[in-house]
Amino acid sequence: MFDIDFGANGDVLCSGRLDAAQCEKAQLFMDGISGASVLDFDGLEYISSAGLGILLKTQKRLSENGAALKIINVNNHIHDVFHFSGFEIEAKSG
Amino acid sequence: MRKSFDRSIDAVADVYDFTESVLEAANIAKEHRFPVHLAMEELFVNMVNYYPDNDNSIQLDVEAENGKVSVTMSDFDVDPFDVTQSRNIDIEAPLDERKPGGLGLHLIQKMVDNLQYDWENRRSTIRFTKGEG
Repeated sequence: MFDIDFGANGDVLCSGRLDAAQCEKAQLFMDGISGASVLDFDGLEYISSAGLGILLKTQKRLSENGAALKIINVNNHIHDVFHFSGFEIEAKSG
Repeated sequence: MRKSFDRSIDAVADVYDFTESVLEAANIAKEHRFPVHLAMEELFVNMVNYYPDNDNSIQLDVEAENGKVSVTMSDFDVDPFDVTQSRNIDIEAPLDERKPGGLGLHLIQKMVDNLQYDWENRRSTIRFTKGEG
């Protein structure tokens, strides 16, 4: 189960498990983002390299216009995934 | 416990449910479950993507006891692909220059223990462990 939607403050709220089978859903949503965005991972339990690929693709697209993703409220396991992947789009504090 | 799964990305959720049931029954620590699930998804998806037209299902064996998880994943009628080899991922490169390919195997090599690969009679067998024991 994976959900992605805008929260009341405009942040993108992600929850559940972002595995390979959920990437199409995530990609469709992220393709609709056109500017700097905050992704709130407070409800996200899991992400695999397929999900990282979506973040990477979105970050590349946004950076062409000088914008960027910021990711907040990352759990320890996902933090490890980011760390081992060399991703630097995670905010230092939630 | 052994179970075979359809060669489909949609089976990823079934692989998770099967594995989680084994880990839960053995009361495996949460900190070990994430890397086990991650490794199994990455390896399973690789098997599906490399041989989408292979009619053989993918066989998984998951054993868990005394805080340790042992996984064996078997793929039949395939060419060799050693998942223990370095993927040459440059994690220092700027994100704008990065390519996602190979990242999954790089993560596995960092996050599980005793990753082993064997290929015999066109059968690939991947083994890894996680946790104490």
